[in-house]
Amino acid sequence: MNRLTIAWRNITRNHRRSLLTGGIVAFGFASFALAGGFMAQSFDGLRDNAIRSGLGHVQFADARAFDQSEETTLQFGIGQTGKAMEVLRADPAVEVVMPRVEFYGLVSAGGRSLPFAGIGVDPEAEARGSNIPKSVHQGQWLDAKAREVVIGGGLAKALNARLGSSVTLLATTSDGTLNAIDATVRGIADISIKELSERYLALPLPLAQDLLSAPDTVSRISVILKEPAHEPEAAARLVQQLKQSGVTLGVKIWRELAVFYQQVRMLYLAIFGFMGAVLLVVVFLSTANATLMSVSERTREIGTLRALGARPRRITSSFILEGALLGLASSVAGAVLSLLITFAINISNIEMPPPPGSVKGFIISVQIIPSAYLAAATAMMITLALASFFPARRAARAPIVESLAHV
Amino acid sequence: MNAIPLLSGRSLTKEYPMGAERVHALRGVDVDVYPGDFLALRGPSGSGKTTLINLLGLLDMPDQGTLLLEGSDTATLSENERADTRRDRFGFVFQSFNLIPVLTAAENVAYPMLLKPQPRRPWRAALASILSAKPEHSSDIQARAVELLTAVGLAGKEHVRPDLLSGGQRQRVAIARALANHPVVIFADEPTASLDSRTADTILDLMKQLNQERGVAFVLSTHDPRVVERAARVIALHDGAVEPGAT
Repeated sequence: MNRLTIAWRNITRNHRRSLLTGGIVAFGFASFALAGGFMAQSFDGLRDNAIRSGLGHVQFADARAFDQSEETTLQFGIGQTGKAMEVLRADPAVEVVMPRVEFYGLVSAGGRSLPFAGIGVDPEAEARGSNIPKSVHQGQWLDAKAREVVIGGGLAKALNARLGSSVTLLATTSDGTLNAIDATVRGIADISIKELSERYLALPLPLAQDLLSAPDTVSRISVILKEPAHEPEAAARLVQQLKQSGVTLGVKIWRELAVFYQQVRMLYLAIFGFMGAVLLVVVFLSTANATLMSVSERTREIGTLRALGARPRRITSSFILEGALLGLASSVAGAVLSLLITFAINISNIEMPPPPGSVKGFIISVQIIPSAYLAAATAMMITLALASFFPARRAARAPIVESLAHV
Repeated sequence: MNAIPLLSGRSLTKEYPMGAERVHALRGVDVDVYPGDFLALRGPSGSGKTTLINLLGLLDMPDQGTLLLEGSDTATLSENERADTRRDRFGFVFQSFNLIPVLTAAENVAYPMLLKPQPRRPWRAALASILSAKPEHSSDIQARAVELLTAVGLAGKEHVRPDLLSGGQRQRVAIARALANHPVVIFADEPTASLDSRTADTILDLMKQLNQERGVAFVLSTHDPRVVERAARVIALHDGAVEPGAT
């Protein structure tokens, strides 16, 4: 006989009540674990989207480009691109190096002219390190040597452009003059963010540099790492290596640049944090009633134990142990329930409506996050221990003769 | 008796609120309990027997008067010290047995022994003792529980839960539990009230036997004449006061 055994026997002496309380806790646990899994899945998706939309794990640019807006095209552009690329590609931690030129211009087709957000890329590198090429749903991704462009679905619709349509791109060069080139639409990309879809235009890096009259110049260099967990270390090392080669660049890791990701993350944490707190209060109130009944029914027993010499603290701690043990057992049941629901959700391919600012829905998916399960179990155990603490402390401090006379 | 009293109460007074009024449960009672005593507190319902036994057993505190335990004033004891005194020096037998329903007979007897403080240990050892199937000294405790159950005539009933025992057997378990920590005095509040007359006789004989063999004092509250017959001393109470010349 030990205190744990006694606690378990006391839990099981009223099966129905313990099952009801355990059910509430298991439901609370499952809500916690599933919300945590869904949140983690969403964060992973958002992070991957942010990194694979061109940010890369680590990004190099003129240090001013991270803090200031360019007043002229490629004002903060990186020269000596070839040397920088060579250094970055040589590092064993680097998987893909993606040089990019970012600029704004006017695109004309069939008598219509619209502004666009242009991006000159290395098509082959983008195909390996970015999700944009995969989003081309009509036609093909860029060819480095062709005078062709890929445009967003929204822009294509607004221009009434199709595959093979001729477009004219007009932009301000780095020295402030206007330049124009002709190109053909090679592909149309399905971009989920509506505003971006209506402005997106990608073209091969040499063609962009030609349009901007800026040979061997890029806006920034995004780097995809083989081991994303070591971003800060890799960033510091690569900057050092560039410096040793005579190229001084600023560096940021993706978290510092992914403003949308950070905002959504904070929003999710706030929403789920609030819901979690409400859930805990509901579990607390629901279980407190059962605990109160349990303590009340055992008032005479408490009086007996005190008469036998048990200190109030021991009696209170026994009830806390019972609460925590019931919380633990219910959490195990909740974990099983969570795993079953997670499995059911993940195989059912439930499509959710498009999130704000997006044109595409997404398939709901839930991850199994051990830390969320651990946090949920801890929260449930503490909640039940607290729900037990207050009535138990009150009963343990009541006059013994009153407890013994309790009917 | 010329011996030094184990417990000595003087001018013990206790009042209880009942609605807007106050009930005088005890009105300045003087009482002594001696080592090896077999003292019956006799009186009708409402005479103050249970109140007096509660005060003597440190289950309650007098409003006025003093209670000395082996010469020391119990009023100075803290709540925890009173609990420790009950655990180490006293035993209790209740009218309704008050056994813990989730424990077996042997576990009920062992429970007061488990309340004894363990020496301070590192947290790992303390945790291990909570989780361990057999706490420290469990074999000693188990052996004593079996010995006490045998002494009260319940050999072989160690693993039986209280709900499967008869009233007399439950009261025997309660007596064995009261003896667990080698008390100097056992307080029994109406110990035969829930028993049939034959079982009551057996239980009283058992108490008398334990009193004589082990030297443990018994203080019993009762209005059962069979208890009074077996008592070495009787204090008669009426309306919260000792009846003159009835001791």
